[in-house]
Amino acid sequence: MSPLRTVITGSVHYRGREGQLAFILHRLSGLGTLLFLALHILDTSTVYFFPALYKEALALYRHPLFMLGEIFIVAAVLYHGVNGLRIALFDLFPRLWRAEREKPSVYTTLAVTVVLWLPAAFIMGRSLIGHTFLGWE
Amino acid sequence: MTTLDRTSRVVSPPPRSIDGRIWLLMRYSGIALIPLAWIHVLIQDVLVGVHRIDLDYVALRWATLGWRVYDMALLAFAFAHGMNGLRQVLEDYITRERPRRLVRWGLFAAWLVITGIGAAAIVGGVGRGAGEVDGS
Repeated sequence: MSPLRTVITGSVHYRGREGQLAFILHRLSGLGTLLFLALHILDTSTVYFFPALYKEALALYRHPLFMLGEIFIVAAVLYHGVNGLRIALFDLFPRLWRAEREKPSVYTTLAVTVVLWLPAAFIMGRSLIGHTFLGWE
Repeated sequence: MTTLDRTSRVVSPPPRSIDGRIWLLMRYSGIALIPLAWIHVLIQDVLVGVHRIDLDYVALRWATLGWRVYDMALLAFAFAHGMNGLRQVLEDYITRERPRRLVRWGLFAAWLVITGIGAAAIVGGVGRGAGEVDGS
């Protein structure tokens, strides 16, 4: 079986629970953010190379579906940062780690992510609705 | 074999190889990216919003040297961190040596080119003939 198939089917059967969930979310949020970042670097570079094209890039960013996606990109960036900090702290200061802290640390990570994300999602969601349905300029 | 004390954890210091240094760099750049990326997202996406961003806005922002330095640091840290992360993910699934080397050099080349394009834009600023932009 190919390694990729193993990971997909294995993730369903493997009972890694919280740690496995944190790992998968870290990879998905990282890959999603990277995809957005590569696109974002290139479209922003048009301000120097092809200034007239920057309008087109902005039109894409202002599309309702893109704005909706952006709210989830923010969730990915927040989760990746909080979980990354958890990883870095446990790696750089192993003495902080206890077996019984492993699972609670994942729940803390998820909770902190949601708490940070909700106000951002509210403001961005309001902007999305305002510009899509209420004719905001 | 000694029994592992289940309440403690041992992390051996990273080896002095390239991979060991990259491992450490992923942690340091990750920590640096928390303020760098979050403040960027907070200002541009949440507080300002994409509907108030245009060439004039970019020109105004880049009129301050500090923001150019900030954007340069964000570009350098974020994209390198991300591309190395992608390398790690791919290397988990590509086990043969030749395709692996191909992926490494391919990602390195893509990283270099895209970082170069982004850096050129940050140094160059908003291009001439951009309309009402207050250029030199």
